[in-house]
Amino acid sequence: MSRIWTHPSSRRGFLRNSAAMGLAGTGLLGLANRAQAADTLNYYTWSAAVDTVKAHVAAFEKKYGIPVNYNNAPWAQFRDTMVTKFVGGAPVDVVWVSDSWLPEWADAGWLAPVDGYPEIMKYDADVDDFCNQSMKYKGHQYGLTYYSDYMAFFYDEEKLKKAGFSKPPETWEEVVAQSTKMKQAGISEYPLMLSMARETWLIEFLSALVYSHGGRFVDDAGNAVMADPAKGAQAAMQWVVDAVNKHKIVSPACVETGELNGLKAFSSGNHAFALIGRYRIRSLNDPAQSKIAGHVRQALMPAGPHGSHATVGWMRFHGMTAQAAKDRTRAANAAKLIEWFGGKADGKYQFQKMLFLDIGSGFGVKSLFQDPEIRAAYQKYSDIGMAEKQQSLAHKKDVVAPWFGEWDEVNGTAWQSAILGKSTVADALKTSAQSWTKLRKQG
Amino acid sequence: MTPRAARIGRNLLLLAASLLFLGYVLAPVAWLVSSSFQSESEITSKPPHWIPHQPTLKNFEAIFGAGERDVTYETRRKADPSSGGFIPSTAKNLLPAMWNSFIVAISVVVLNLLVSVPAAYAMAKIRFIGRQTSIYAMLVTRVIPDIALVVPFFLFIRKLGLLDHVGSLIITYLAITIPFSVFILVGYFESLPDELDKAARVDGCSRLQALLRVFLPLALPSLVAMILFAFLTSWNEFLLALMFTQTPASQTMPIVVASFTSDFTISFSFINAAGVLAVVPPVILAIVFERYIVSGLTAGAVKG
Repeated sequence: MSRIWTHPSSRRGFLRNSAAMGLAGTGLLGLANRAQAADTLNYYTWSAAVDTVKAHVAAFEKKYGIPVNYNNAPWAQFRDTMVTKFVGGAPVDVVWVSDSWLPEWADAGWLAPVDGYPEIMKYDADVDDFCNQSMKYKGHQYGLTYYSDYMAFFYDEEKLKKAGFSKPPETWEEVVAQSTKMKQAGISEYPLMLSMARETWLIEFLSALVYSHGGRFVDDAGNAVMADPAKGAQAAMQWVVDAVNKHKIVSPACVETGELNGLKAFSSGNHAFALIGRYRIRSLNDPAQSKIAGHVRQALMPAGPHGSHATVGWMRFHGMTAQAAKDRTRAANAAKLIEWFGGKADGKYQFQKMLFLDIGSGFGVKSLFQDPEIRAAYQKYSDIGMAEKQQSLAHKKDVVAPWFGEWDEVNGTAWQSAILGKSTVADALKTSAQSWTKLRKQG
Repeated sequence: MTPRAARIGRNLLLLAASLLFLGYVLAPVAWLVSSSFQSESEITSKPPHWIPHQPTLKNFEAIFGAGERDVTYETRRKADPSSGGFIPSTAKNLLPAMWNSFIVAISVVVLNLLVSVPAAYAMAKIRFIGRQTSIYAMLVTRVIPDIALVVPFFLFIRKLGLLDHVGSLIITYLAITIPFSVFILVGYFESLPDELDKAARVDGCSRLQALLRVFLPLALPSLVAMILFAFLTSWNEFLLALMFTQTPASQTMPIVVASFTSDFTISFSFINAAGVLAVVPPVILAIVFERYIVSGLTAGAVKG
């Protein structure tokens, strides 16, 4: 047996040897880390449409000879992951950005404006206005959209026919009337599916309800107006509270139902109406994924008493990081990649078209609505005319601000409290407005 | 009521409560397994099919049958409803991720044994100044939430050049697990009489020999508890793995499974198939060491 194992007084030696071995191990592991070419672009996305992205990255590398280090992380943790990487100084050049994060990331100096890149800015003319507005912050544009969509109103045509309705509701009052009849006829216990769980999707659902009631959370000057009874938010919240507690056409479990579970509930045939992201129409009419395939139709968002068919739109874009913008070569390469994904690649909107054809996701490029291939594909499962018409009525979220995350927590809780009867509608929105004003003052 | 009837009634009540509890605990697992063999449309059927009506292996085929291939415009996987193509292409990352998880978990277990056993022995049997303080100081490190450690850890790992390397996980998981492992073992070693140590030393054993030949064989239940704790912590850890890994070369099981949920075209039944794979190793471990688990965790908790 060696000395280290047998000698009673070898403790210091043992510790010294252990430390040396640890350091050596650390060094070896460090050496094992993959080397990376200096001109490699570091590209971060969340883990969606991975094959489509990979295919387009491969084509980019082939065309420009610029290697791309493609990484992805789950959507739910993407923001936290990227913030850690930004703070930790990890190399990131091009990144997918949600419109909700723009103020925070821009103010923190993690994203760089792209105003100075005409090859990117030239696409604005062909992009929906709500998309362009969503990419702007403090007078600068921060990227190029590759995906956008909006909150849509879907109905199960078969259930409507069964209840004796020949057309979908055009107003929220008609939603109540038709739902009540369906409930009484035993067609559906809770005819309307609303997802009111506290998750990132909640603000989109709430905004669609508020906009269609002619309301706003925040005015153009950034002042909270949600508590003003004349501004529509109160009417929207009251409608939801009544739908759950008075008419009982929406399940009280809506406060626990997230977007994905709501989709599955609607696709399993439990409901007649649903507020869901427009892109879900493809899976809703897919027999492999939906019990009500072939019966799901899109209608314009029902209008409130003083509202319209307006809805909320959202978008995601490719942003250039500030660290990439500092280096001329990296910035030029990053701009190429952004254009390749958000603009035209070899003369066509290849990526956005692929996203649509592969998984049915939306786009902010207006001219793509006229693309014959896209029209033909969409007509197989829904009405592209309706999709385009509703998209033209979409507005950007009015609550996107650096303090959005904190306010969103308070606002989501306030809506849930009102729905569960723990507070009045007026008090809930007052809480939300006070939180907004306080956070805004704090900057 | 006769005493016999009362006893039978109590037993029946206990049986009913046990069955209810068993159902409550096992139902999610049963559904996980059952739904992994169902199609997407069957999984959402109402009422749910606890036994699949049309069992399918396509979820597992996607995991085990996926090979490496270049992804191009022509070969990319699309969400074609007729072919059930809504199983994400990243299904092929599951087995490598499982291997990464295994490597990390085993490494953490082995290093935990190497570090924690001598440390716990020293703290339990060697009287030195600050002994008690050092035990509590180690435990205090576990009071800090992991989220608060993410950025410092990230900077440290980046400095070492270990980003996107399983080594980053091994190092950070050791920092998380060792304090608790030592705590488990110290409690057990302290419950063993000091006379054993003294007798071993009188018989000519060094400290290390006393530890290896006398204390370790007696500490088996606690060692098993520690091994399980280190393995399961490493196997399930999500936050740090998310931050430090980027590619399938280093990503672990929880990261790959979580990544499926943000795919537009995700199939719930496929996610459940991935979940089935994720629980297999911990379940095997629990079954193998079942008889040591409770005794190991409670060992040393009560001193006579």
